[in-house]
Amino acid sequence: MSRSTGLATASALLLVALFAVPLVTRNEYLLALGVSFATFAVLSSGLNLVYGYSGLLSFAQVGFFGLGAYTAALLMTELQWSALPAVVAGGALAAVAGLVIGYSSLRLSRHAFAIVTLSFALLCGIVARDWVSLTRGSMGIPGLPVPTVGAWRIARPADFYWLLLGYSVLANTIIYALVTSRIGRAMRAIKLNEALAQSQGLDPLAHRLLAVTLSASLTGMAGGWFVFYLTIVDPSVFDFYYTETMLIMVILGGPGHFWGVLVSCAVLTVVPDLLRFTTDLRMVLYGAVLIVAMLVLPGGIGGWLDRRRVERWRRIAYGSPR
Amino acid sequence: MKPLVRSVTGVLLTLAMLGAGAQTGAPIVIGASIPLTGGVSTFGQHSRWGSELAIAEANAAGGVLGRKLEIDYQDNRCNPAEAVKSVTQMIAEKKYVAIFDGLCSSAALAIMPLVERAEIPFVVANASATAIAEKSGVGGNKWTFKVNPTDASMLDALVAWLDKEGKAANIAFLGEDTDFGRAGVAGLEAALKKRNRALASVDFYQKGTADFTTVFAKIKAKKPGLLALYAIDADFQNAMRQWYAAGGGIPLTGRVLVDQVPKAIMASGFLDGTTSVQPYDPSIDTPGNKAFVEAFQKRFQTAPILVSFEAYETTRVLIDAIKRAGSTEPAAIRDALTKTKYPSLLGNTIDFDDHNLAHNNAVILGIRGGKVVVLGFSKT
Amino acid sequence: MDAAFFVQLLLNGLVLGVIYALIAMGLSLIFGVLEIINFAHGEFYMLGAMAAYFAVERVHLGYWATIVAVTIGALCVGWVLYEALLARLAGSGFERSILVTLGLSMVLQNGAVFLFTTTPKMLQTADTYSNVTIGGARIALLRVLALGIGVVAYAGLHLMLHRTQVGRAMRGVAQNRDAALMVGIDPRAVSRLAVVVGIGLSGLAGAALAPVYAVHPLMGFAFVFKAFAIIIIGGLGNVSGAAVAALALGVLESVMGGFLPQVVVDALSFGAMILVLLVRPQGLFGRGVRV
Repeated sequence: MSRSTGLATASALLLVALFAVPLVTRNEYLLALGVSFATFAVLSSGLNLVYGYSGLLSFAQVGFFGLGAYTAALLMTELQWSALPAVVAGGALAAVAGLVIGYSSLRLSRHAFAIVTLSFALLCGIVARDWVSLTRGSMGIPGLPVPTVGAWRIARPADFYWLLLGYSVLANTIIYALVTSRIGRAMRAIKLNEALAQSQGLDPLAHRLLAVTLSASLTGMAGGWFVFYLTIVDPSVFDFYYTETMLIMVILGGPGHFWGVLVSCAVLTVVPDLLRFTTDLRMVLYGAVLIVAMLVLPGGIGGWLDRRRVERWRRIAYGSPR
Repeated sequence: MKPLVRSVTGVLLTLAMLGAGAQTGAPIVIGASIPLTGGVSTFGQHSRWGSELAIAEANAAGGVLGRKLEIDYQDNRCNPAEAVKSVTQMIAEKKYVAIFDGLCSSAALAIMPLVERAEIPFVVANASATAIAEKSGVGGNKWTFKVNPTDASMLDALVAWLDKEGKAANIAFLGEDTDFGRAGVAGLEAALKKRNRALASVDFYQKGTADFTTVFAKIKAKKPGLLALYAIDADFQNAMRQWYAAGGGIPLTGRVLVDQVPKAIMASGFLDGTTSVQPYDPSIDTPGNKAFVEAFQKRFQTAPILVSFEAYETTRVLIDAIKRAGSTEPAAIRDALTKTKYPSLLGNTIDFDDHNLAHNNAVILGIRGGKVVVLGFSKT
Repeated sequence: MDAAFFVQLLLNGLVLGVIYALIAMGLSLIFGVLEIINFAHGEFYMLGAMAAYFAVERVHLGYWATIVAVTIGALCVGWVLYEALLARLAGSGFERSILVTLGLSMVLQNGAVFLFTTTPKMLQTADTYSNVTIGGARIALLRVLALGIGVVAYAGLHLMLHRTQVGRAMRGVAQNRDAALMVGIDPRAVSRLAVVVGIGLSGLAGAALAPVYAVHPLMGFAFVFKAFAIIIIGGLGNVSGAAVAALALGVLESVMGGFLPQVVVDALSFGAMILVLLVRPQGLFGRGVRV
């Protein structure tokens, strides 16, 4: 069996197992972990697309997350839209925001880009908190209605587990298809050497905008589904905590390594919970991991595995060092 | 064979009885979602102390239905999303017979849909937003019960009082931008409208604001007759300092926490002329209250505040309901709550109207001569 | 419009602006000399305030003793920060440095939350309720002192940057790193001093403000993002530019807060930054241009 077929079979089996979890257990704690993993899988893959594959250190992801969340919630509570159109509209609005932010800030220096994306996320939080007539500010919008997709009423924890997991698989499949395609290779080329890629006829701005816009829309829709799970949306959906968490997942997994990021997402969702870490201790751990990773393993675990593979090939090709 | 069968049966029966005994020995657990950390944590601490005292007294008297009582406190940081998370977790654990308080109005309002879905009674002790009662009882959330009076009723009593003294004109408002603060505005505006008046100005601040000097300067520049202040705990402490620094000059009203004013400011007479309305004051002279204040002081080495009393009395109402229900089934406890006729420590009877709201008296408090005085009582 | 009202707003704004300036100048200095955006900068402000709280409440130090002690402590912490962490980042990509300082910020902030909880702590001193009247406006004595400390600190920094050899070296490195290396400036020594001074300024700001505002682990968080906006508005790497922008922002926020809704005030710094980036990306005062 070739390597890619093996990988595909393994992923398929894993997916079946994950979807089967609510059928074998009613442990709501496990289901909550699953929802958390599924949501962060979308967030970190989205960030991976923008940072890992396109080389843009963007802090704006949480802004798109919350924008999609508030849009979906408001469309359902104020205009009585049903769940699916509301969430998709949230994703669309997030995509437009991504396009605008991307287009205006991609021509700035790397430092300025990081700070502008950071400010965008902060501004979203400020508006959510202060525009009380629209968003109810810090009071939030509690008691969000039960979403229905077709005939499926998503009310029990198991339902939300399947919903978020299903969406996560869809989003990650889209991202995977993109990064393994020609466009994905072009993005990587642009990241490695922009001038050379441009000389070959690739348009950096267009590719980067595609990455930003796509990840914004996928992240926005994740936000919509997530707040229906919480049954409440409030400005805390823009908390820096989400940015920090998805960053650590991408850094640890290895920027530009699709599977590495997903694995580190799973590990970082489950392990701190197993250790019964409170949120603050968890963040201290993440911070420490980030520092160590940046000093010792800048490519993350994915990068380290890559280097080992290259070392192995080199030894095969040229023999062991004498 | 026969002796073996007998001994096996004996062992099984003993085990069954031990099992049943263990069952009846298991404590009755109430879930509580209150702010244990953050800017409202002093209130959370007092709420915890108040309910702990009630539970300890009930356990010392033999418990309820032959079992001991326990409360599990979870931190909601006065944030509605945190409240939802903590209560969702509590409901998932499924051994809690009731949920207690939320404390902050926004948190309580966020918890209400959850308890309705899960069909567990929710008793509110401190959160005062009028919307809580409006959305409960007939035509609404049948599982939520509110023991303390609403802001609307208390503020109506306050405005009536101020009116008697000819002071209910030109009132400016400054409050936190939460359901609590907004209930304050709504209550004052409704009470003033009845008397053909309106608020002079309305300003909100975000919870956790460090700097009030700008908004104080803004309000003072408009020279109102009174300033209605809707701030609690850490924000209130901060505001008091900065109000003092700004020179004051305008009597305060609304729900000023007269029992939390820093001692130096109180003693200086700076706040004389303040008139406030609250559901409780430690100095209220009834035998029940005096006993409570003494027991609280003895156990926790500090005087109780409004929040401690409300938690204490509400916990006792809940314990009384569990006793009358005769079971720990949430539905039975809810039915028992609707039939409550509990003698309040403040003198009258607590029973719930068709919006699951009790109508205990409110007390009008004033600061005169550097001291807190009880000016009068009012029905709510 | 009431003159006293305006004076009050102006004074409040100056105090606010001076605090922004203390934090932004340190941030700008570190960026200018090391090309590192120090995400953890706000945390040193918070740690300074926390240290001041404990110095006053547990050790019972007086106001000035606390200020001096905390500042010296901050200078030492800056030294350790450079040697242990930032020195290793010399020459690496800017992403690495942002992420390392972000990680540091996560450790410091959440560690403080874990140890002290988010419950705000109010410092109580003999001067807590003392007031001063200036031109019809009343202002707390502690705020006036904080303002004075900020002005002195700025003056000290200005003197150092413009009159001392090492200060000139720092400005040189900030203006043009390669040229500075070519004339023989030692990057390590200059970088170390920049970090020590930058962190020292943050700690000083924290100690000066601990008696004025409530002290809690998240207090640095709010300031640091505004500081980023300020150094962009002033011009990345321009310390004087950052100070001017900080002061202007503080005054503007305060004055506008007296008349406009809160959302305008909160969004002002970020809105101004985005405007500057679109219209004049090198900042109002450019990079390293003398003001």
